[in-house]
Amino acid sequence: MGKTKTIDPAVVQKKLSVLEPCLERLQKQAEDEADPKKRLKLGREIDRTRDKIRQAKTGERFSRQAKRDMVAYSFIAPNFIGFAIFTLGPVIFAFVLAFLRWDGNNAMEFAGLDNFAMMFGNKRFLAALRNTVVYCVATVPFTLAAALALAVLLNQKIKGRNFFRTVSFFPYVASLVAVAAVWNMLFSPAKSGPANMILYNLGVAAKSLPKWSADKNWVMFTVVMFSVWKNMGYYMVIYLAGLQGINGELYEACGLDGANTWQRFWYITLPQLRPTTFFVTIILTINCFKVYDIVYMLAGGNTGVLNESAIVLVYHIYEEAFRNWNLGYASACAMVLFLMVLAITLVQFRGEKKYAN
Amino acid sequence: MKIKNTKTRALRVVLYVVLIALALVMLVPFAWMLSASFKLDKDVFIFPIEWIPKNPRWQNYVDIWSKIPLMAFVQNTVKLTLIVTFLQLLTSSFAAYAFAKLEFKGKDLLFLAYIATIAVPWQVYMVPQFMMMRSMGLADTHLAIIFLQAFSAFGVFMMKQFYEGIPTELCEAARIDGMTEYQIWYRIMLPLSKPSLSTLTIFTFVNTWNDFLGPLIYLTTESKKTLQLGLRMFISQFGSEYGLIMAASVLSLIPVLIVFLSLQKYFVEGVAASGVKG
Amino acid sequence: MKKRLASLIMTMAMAGSLVACGGGSKGNEAPTTAAAGGGGGETATAAEQVVAAEGQTVMKWSIWDKDLTLYYQPLIEEFEKQNPDLKIEMVDLGSSDYQTVLGTQLTGSGSDFDIVTIKDVPGYTTLVNKGVLEPLDEFISSDGVDLEGYKGLTDQIQVDGKLYELPFRSDFWVLYYNKDVFDEAKVAYPTNDMTFEQYDALARQLTVDIPGQEVYGAHYHTWRSAVQLFGILDGKNTILDGSYDFLKPYYEMALAEQEDGVCQDYATLKTSNLHYSGAFSQGNVAMMNMGTWFLSTLADKIKTGEYTDCTNWGIVKYPHADGVEPGSTLATITALSIPANAPHKEDAWKFVKFVCGEEGAEILASTGNIPALMNDDIAGMISSMEGFPEDEGSKEALQTANLYLEMPVSNKSSEIEIVLNEAHDNIMTGNSTIDEGIADMNEKVGAILAQ
Repeated sequence: MGKTKTIDPAVVQKKLSVLEPCLERLQKQAEDEADPKKRLKLGREIDRTRDKIRQAKTGERFSRQAKRDMVAYSFIAPNFIGFAIFTLGPVIFAFVLAFLRWDGNNAMEFAGLDNFAMMFGNKRFLAALRNTVVYCVATVPFTLAAALALAVLLNQKIKGRNFFRTVSFFPYVASLVAVAAVWNMLFSPAKSGPANMILYNLGVAAKSLPKWSADKNWVMFTVVMFSVWKNMGYYMVIYLAGLQGINGELYEACGLDGANTWQRFWYITLPQLRPTTFFVTIILTINCFKVYDIVYMLAGGNTGVLNESAIVLVYHIYEEAFRNWNLGYASACAMVLFLMVLAITLVQFRGEKKYAN
Repeated sequence: MKIKNTKTRALRVVLYVVLIALALVMLVPFAWMLSASFKLDKDVFIFPIEWIPKNPRWQNYVDIWSKIPLMAFVQNTVKLTLIVTFLQLLTSSFAAYAFAKLEFKGKDLLFLAYIATIAVPWQVYMVPQFMMMRSMGLADTHLAIIFLQAFSAFGVFMMKQFYEGIPTELCEAARIDGMTEYQIWYRIMLPLSKPSLSTLTIFTFVNTWNDFLGPLIYLTTESKKTLQLGLRMFISQFGSEYGLIMAASVLSLIPVLIVFLSLQKYFVEGVAASGVKG
Repeated sequence: MKKRLASLIMTMAMAGSLVACGGGSKGNEAPTTAAAGGGGGETATAAEQVVAAEGQTVMKWSIWDKDLTLYYQPLIEEFEKQNPDLKIEMVDLGSSDYQTVLGTQLTGSGSDFDIVTIKDVPGYTTLVNKGVLEPLDEFISSDGVDLEGYKGLTDQIQVDGKLYELPFRSDFWVLYYNKDVFDEAKVAYPTNDMTFEQYDALARQLTVDIPGQEVYGAHYHTWRSAVQLFGILDGKNTILDGSYDFLKPYYEMALAEQEDGVCQDYATLKTSNLHYSGAFSQGNVAMMNMGTWFLSTLADKIKTGEYTDCTNWGIVKYPHADGVEPGSTLATITALSIPANAPHKEDAWKFVKFVCGEEGAEILASTGNIPALMNDDIAGMISSMEGFPEDEGSKEALQTANLYLEMPVSNKSSEIEIVLNEAHDNIMTGNSTIDEGIADMNEKVGAILAQ
């Protein structure tokens, strides 16, 4: 099939008779428009109309824009098809589930907003919500700062750089059982635990030593510290990759102006890392909201049941979905989690866009 | 000048002290794993920890090969990890190019769909997904794990962010030179994104290598199971053989570390060095 | 160059494995054929493949701990010998997440399991509520199976008057003790008739709290059953009552022991993940209450030389409250069920009947495990197992009077269990006082029951 076909002048004429006045009208509108945003929008429309006119005249099957779209889609397709079938589909289904009552086997029933109503009467849910938010608020900034500092440090020309980089990545890849065991050993509730030993020598009475992950007042603190330590190497890797994208000339130019290390970091490194920071913040926030295995390993003990002092949302979802098979309710909880993450992400997106402009 | 020199040197010393202290803290879990891998499981969790076992039990490293079909598990895991990583890199960087450098209809909406799924915990859609896979005849196949892992939104998002850091002028120039978008992706974007490709490789590799829940739900035939499932075989109803688990865990860390070490050299040559100037 | 080589290898690996995957999914459509191999590990496939001959039916049986459980293979061999037209294929779903995986597998209509093992009561009620299990009553009545031998256990696991599982293994709790520790302290061994007061006094008598050479008179594992369920053994209360004031004296005893160093600190045990076998095998624990599943492990690990500090051990019956018959204890059952859409229900029932019946019980007992169908002969088989303590007291300890399920059947079981676990944890770590913990249980379980 060729791109061009025989042009029927009558048809072309007919199309043009519609399009051309349209173009004129738009152009006039654009001239009168004061708001720059709206003018930009009109400008795009004008381009599209021109494109259509050109297409009508040459008789091409697809407009330039359509062709450009198709190239773009061809880039996305290999990933998107797999993604749409295996992830997006089930996710959409899960959203629908939030309004249904389903145990995974019997027929689904429409539940309206019952699942959501149930959630806010459930103490474990409320505790999970509170703990998750506390966890995120505490973990995200610390991890971000630690990862960035580590990346900048390990991007310097220092001896044994490769060794230090690998070691920082270690807690992330090491078996969770081992990492949790070590952490709980360092923060053992016993008087003889290393952390408590230090506190004891600093003058804390033996009776009031914290029991760390077995203590309802300290468990979240312990979990937050643990997760910063475990995950900073992971985000450091992303930052390291981001640092490689910074144009060295910028530093050279800056060096001539006599900027010190701190200024270079503040005025070049940090702004240049914006896309990376944006990505890290979003992924980190999402991962924090989805935290579950860390808490489970640290505070679950042998029974693997999390108390109200340590329960997090995804654990609650897991518990409801697989212990009680309330799939509808579990989906509704996930929806709440999703909406929170979405709100945060959108705020960040907006900030990013504003900055880019 | 001299003062500045001593100051920098002092700073260096502080820097190294901090780094070494950090490294030690990071290495404690590994030391624990190593130490536990030479113990009988009754001694693994005894407190206070005996860091160097009195009678190191080398037998653990022999037993893991005979008690479970570890070799087959390693083969399966290697196979799955390689395929998933390869597909993930290819399709993600491909799609990310469109999101970062091309204008097209529905871009924001599609991208939002990607981001949105990252925010949904897998536990929620695990059951419908399993039922769908089973109806396609994919239950208990490696293909299911590949489909599950290879098209993640995370990869697309990450690559897009890095591509946005590459100057658009480069693409514009290439277009004027008459390159097609595919050529631009292959000749310009790919070579320039080595650091981020390395990052994605590391992450995908680690995730697939360590994935537990996916294989747990999908793979039931023993000969198809993966390393992480194998590790759990040492955990039984009435006790866990942590000595063996740790021995196998130590071994299973080696490939991950090799991948990390061999790829991190790309964290030094960036756009600045190889791209914009030329 | 190197890179190209790497990508070439990757591509080849991919092509190769896609072929293998194709084979795997093809096998999936016909699970009874030997083609179900696939994957990369052809070497290991032979051992587990169930090759069906002409006219044979292959049934899938979900289990856990395949290689560590000694009775699966003999059970299958004996059954297949009696039923040459039937073959059993074990599918190991792993122990730690067994209920999750089983629940997912049975979801919808695509499952092809014929027999499933049920691990615990909350898991059982969940599956019953989900409607994926077949009631067994018709099979039982048409085959005239006598439920008397299960000593009332089958009455306790009925849901709305129907029985969806048949127990084949029934473990109960006893008191393990280390004879060396008693000898060292020159204290007489515990007996099969002890009240809780006597038990507590004995534990305190054995305790040594010199730092570095501690001896613990008692050891409680972190499970709720280990302390909380002392309270239900007088038969006056159940753990589903919704009112838990009767637990107070037992928590008082345990907390006081913990305070005085008679037993190890719960919080430390919890965070260090120390397993009860690890604790007992250190040789500094005098008495530990635990289930009979530990019998064969203990005997085995002593035989292989792994446990060297607790080789001289014995068991006695659980301590009891004043005026209660000794031998009242907790029971945990393991049972078989048939999924509602099992492909071969009639044949599956044959297997269930065999495993849960007398022949199955004997095979279980011969491997040192307690079958649900218990009589004197079978108790004799267990106590004559290699490594079982020789003294008469230990043999007598296998005789039980009343068995109470660790978690009784109710459609609220799994929800209530969470509340009970949580309260237990809070009381034992000192996060709440006994009274607060009990009030918490009363309130929350009350709310669940009122739903």
